[in-house]
Amino acid sequence: MRSGLVLRHLVAITVTAFALFPILFVISSALNPLGTLSSATLFPSGAGLANVTDLFETTAFPTWYLNSVLIAGLTAVLSVTVSAVSAYAFSRFRFAGRRTGLVALLVIQAFPQFLAIVPLYVIFSVISDNWPVFGLNSIWGVVLLYIGGQVGVNTWLIKGFFDTIPRELDEAMLIDGCTPTQAFRKVILPLSAPILSISALLVFIGTINEFLIASVFLTGDDARTLAVGLFSLLADQRNANFGMFAVGTLLTAIPTVVVFQFLQRYIVHGLTAGAVKG
Amino acid sequence: MPRPMKTLAGALALGLVLTACGGNTQAQGQPSSAPAAAGDTTLLIWADQMRSDTLKPFAEAFAKENGIKAEVVVVAQNQQQTFTTASQAGKGPDVVVGAHDWIGNLVQNGLIDPIQMTEDQLAGYVDVARKAVTYDGQVYGVPYAVENLALFRNTELAPEAPGSFDELVETGKRLKAAGKVKEIVGYPVSQQDGQSGDTYHLYPLYTSAGAHLFGTTAGGDPDPSELGVGEKESVAAFERIARLGEKGDGALKRSFTSDNSAAAFNEGRTAFMVAGPWRLADARKAGVKYDITPVPGFKGAEPARPFVGVQSFFVASKGKNKALAQEFVTGTLASAEVARALFDAEPRMPALNEALTYAAGKDPDVAKFQAAAENGTPLPAIPQMVAIWGPFNTLIHAAVKGEPVPPAVEAAAKAIAEQLEQ
Amino acid sequence: MATGAWPGSAGGIALRVLVLGLIVAVALWAVAPLVAAENWIGVGIVVVVTAAGLLVYLTPRRLPAKYLLPTTLLVLAFQVFPVVHTMSLALTNIGDGHLGSKQDAITAIETSSVKRRPGSAEFRLTVAEKDGDLVFLLAEGGRAYTGTAEGLRPLEGATLGAGGRITAADGYTVLTAGQASARGSEITELVVPVEGGAIRSQGLSRAYRGTATLAYDAVCDCVTGQDRIWRADEEQGRFVSDDGQALAQGWQVDVGLANLTTALTNPKINAHFLGVFGWNLVYATSVVVLTAALGVAVALVLHHPRMRAVRAYRTLIVLPYAMPAFAMLLVWRDMFNTDFGLINKMLGLDVDWLGAPLTARLSVLLVQLWLGFPYMFLIATGALQTIPSEYLEAAQVDGATAWQRFVKVTLPLLMLALAPLLVSSFAFNFNNFNGIFLVTAGGPFPADNPTMGATDLLITYTFRLAFGQQGAQYGLASAMSVYVYLIVAVLSIISFRRTRAFQEVDR
Repeated sequence: MRSGLVLRHLVAITVTAFALFPILFVISSALNPLGTLSSATLFPSGAGLANVTDLFETTAFPTWYLNSVLIAGLTAVLSVTVSAVSAYAFSRFRFAGRRTGLVALLVIQAFPQFLAIVPLYVIFSVISDNWPVFGLNSIWGVVLLYIGGQVGVNTWLIKGFFDTIPRELDEAMLIDGCTPTQAFRKVILPLSAPILSISALLVFIGTINEFLIASVFLTGDDARTLAVGLFSLLADQRNANFGMFAVGTLLTAIPTVVVFQFLQRYIVHGLTAGAVKG
Repeated sequence: MPRPMKTLAGALALGLVLTACGGNTQAQGQPSSAPAAAGDTTLLIWADQMRSDTLKPFAEAFAKENGIKAEVVVVAQNQQQTFTTASQAGKGPDVVVGAHDWIGNLVQNGLIDPIQMTEDQLAGYVDVARKAVTYDGQVYGVPYAVENLALFRNTELAPEAPGSFDELVETGKRLKAAGKVKEIVGYPVSQQDGQSGDTYHLYPLYTSAGAHLFGTTAGGDPDPSELGVGEKESVAAFERIARLGEKGDGALKRSFTSDNSAAAFNEGRTAFMVAGPWRLADARKAGVKYDITPVPGFKGAEPARPFVGVQSFFVASKGKNKALAQEFVTGTLASAEVARALFDAEPRMPALNEALTYAAGKDPDVAKFQAAAENGTPLPAIPQMVAIWGPFNTLIHAAVKGEPVPPAVEAAAKAIAEQLEQ
Repeated sequence: MATGAWPGSAGGIALRVLVLGLIVAVALWAVAPLVAAENWIGVGIVVVVTAAGLLVYLTPRRLPAKYLLPTTLLVLAFQVFPVVHTMSLALTNIGDGHLGSKQDAITAIETSSVKRRPGSAEFRLTVAEKDGDLVFLLAEGGRAYTGTAEGLRPLEGATLGAGGRITAADGYTVLTAGQASARGSEITELVVPVEGGAIRSQGLSRAYRGTATLAYDAVCDCVTGQDRIWRADEEQGRFVSDDGQALAQGWQVDVGLANLTTALTNPKINAHFLGVFGWNLVYATSVVVLTAALGVAVALVLHHPRMRAVRAYRTLIVLPYAMPAFAMLLVWRDMFNTDFGLINKMLGLDVDWLGAPLTARLSVLLVQLWLGFPYMFLIATGALQTIPSEYLEAAQVDGATAWQRFVKVTLPLLMLALAPLLVSSFAFNFNNFNGIFLVTAGGPFPADNPTMGATDLLITYTFRLAFGQQGAQYGLASAMSVYVYLIVAVLSIISFRRTRAFQEVDR
């Protein structure tokens, strides 16, 4: 057993090293005052913080940051809520078109997204004319769009988890006179904390790193996100500022790590906590 | 039970399609024709980050003077594509800042309007800038900055400017043999984005060897009906480039991109670098002692002709305030004051003679880049240029790698010709 | 299902009233601007959606719909509609030079054909109004004129300000810039005919003498001028002259199935289809298998009651996924550089990673493994929590080895949660444009064929064809992506069916 644990640690350390070494490279670039990716050292050769100060002084980095966290947070919460609700229907109800609906959810999102920019623009220009709150350069519009884009996978992800929760649990609630909604709220949701946390995290990450849609629909100074802002540092292909870019990239990972730290306990303890109640 | 749901969903989707299509075609003119109250008029300007910061005060002053509002919006990337999509959906800007080689595409799509300037006004610009924004006999943009490649030289390692590219390679080899440098020359053979050749950077050598991409029409525009790739001059040019390549002198290597050649130059790992004014700031920051001379051509051959890119202001055809936009572009933006401010923000050679004098007085490197632009040709603005990039980039890689040149040139010529046919 | 009767509680009723109020309020808010804009189709949609909402949420029955309506609406608006719209574009020639309507093209042709008369003087322009009609007040060399659609007339009683512009004139109201701009389209359309051309505005303070060298003639449906006649060709959507020359500005026309057949029959497009398709399959499958294998393996390694520092490991392992993907793709690309890349430097190698087909393919797989395994790791970690430890304990009591327990208990239960995501990951990676484009751009390309690179996926390959021509051909791109999409959809459904055994295992 002891040697087994050592082996586990060895594997974990190897994988962690694999996960980290390109990031070390980014850190080294971030500290390189010349702002280049081609310093080709894994460990920083210089230790200049010039790139950090440059990033904060010459760009609207804090605004991008705030926008990104707001958009990603809202999208994560709303998308998981909507997905969990529909996953419940797919998991617990049997109705005509259920299987078709499930397959459709999976298949429809296989469409190459960047071709969809033109039709999405059509939608958004109509929305902008009528309801500017949700239109172009509005955080809310993009949040809706992201939810629409993520809801399929999440429904699947969450439904897969719901399927593993014994039906007897919520059926017992129904027999006790609860409505399905109450059964959903009081039994299924608490038991699903791990998967809800993980989907929220995945949506959060996916959204904070999303670039294509944000770059087209959020062009205003105040509306830009981290991904778009950072890419603008590289936009001029011939004068890319990799140093500032590397700093920004590293800082972008922070909210994700924080959210992950926050959600970890639900991921691990979710089931045990629920099991006591059940 | 789900039946009504399904029909409903179908109807909904259909309805969406109908509205959207309506919005796309007939409704296009509607928003702009609706008379806006004077106070609501907003002049919308799209620019990149750097330009946006500089232009903001001018736009605000213009707005105040005319009793309107002005908004400068940063469009970070894919500016041309985003401009096209947005304009087509009726959500585009009134003024857009971009490169002159967009012109062919934007004119074809009916997205920018000509700018009528008098001969006197036009005479105020450097020749190459005026030529670059003139397309099909019509001026489509107000130029503000000129950019082109030149040779950066580390004067401590190589005090004398090389008279030819061959001489440069000689010097580089000598320095490398003496252990003073690691690379003969920092020449960006590969594109920053991906593993393909860099037509823009290789073009000076290609032209020096006597080859060309397109012929020239009577009007002075590039003529796509006469393709230079595949002709015997182009084979000879690539033979010459190949001799500098990985199986030859080892001066040109596919591992070089614009970014790492600059890093190599700034860290003293090479004595030469072919780059544009956008690398000035880094070189100065690194504290390298440098000089700038035109990219040298091959010995006893034609001069090397770098591409010249001209940054310009355009008036959007589908903007909501075209008259105001014309006023702003030809009045405010064409002024020497704006050109000077743009130069102060980023040291690029101004296109306006008056501002150029100012810039050259402030920064001796400006005059050096101007000298390097002397032999340059404007980057072709014709839409057919799109057909060149891919095949030509591959051809560059093949030649530098040391693959047999004639079949590679032939394959590229065939690929380009096929794409032009369509 | 039958248990879903009206809950009689006061809370339940209050909730329903609240929902009703909310739906109606949102509907009213949404419909107001549509009514104002007289967009009756939009109003219709809002009414239908509202009715659906009320129907679903206020009746005691129709249970699944209650849970599915939000998802359905979102998916319809943001996923189904774009797909349908793209498919409809495949039936047109939309692309550079054919983006707008015929009227747009005509306007663009006429506007861009206006040539300033060489050597002509510039007028100082003041935009004014008389009885609601727009008038140009023009000044040149100290003389003042009025310009209207009727022509140029001398103007008496004008006050010339600094810079030579007319600041006031009897009987005319001078417009401010804001007022003038509000009538901007009238100003740009106002042409003052004069001998040998016309006077047009250039902005709001200048006017010039110029001639439109091209004009559209509705009678012959053609554009004339410059000693030529260009006739409208409704099939190509452009004006073509007798000698085959076409004007650059065209318009969008329906081309029926032309794009769809071109994509199938054009040898330039389909010549390398099989080669690209084969690698595409290998790529997508390998990425899914590799990321899932590594992700599940790491999740299992960390899933042990006595394992320490699990939180730290998890956090660090998730980092590759937390970094912006496009940024890391660029970083990896630079790490593969032959002379300056980190990988060769660290390993003391001189491998031309992205320059040779095999190593380039391995490289893009490695990059995608790095980017993708944390995703699988997270999902597997979550799924592992759901496996009741009693199952494993029971298996252990029955004398099953660790491997048997994994294969018989853990893996099937994991697959239950993972299978659909593997399918979705397959679909994503099948079209992983950025994963290829930002690292190799499809290359390396054989010297004798610059159109098909060794790492090209169908999506990068077809897009290079559709956009590498004389500008972007969206119609063709849409047609090709419809095919690529059909392939992905069919493959997804097949793999979905194959894994269904797992999904419905305990249902």
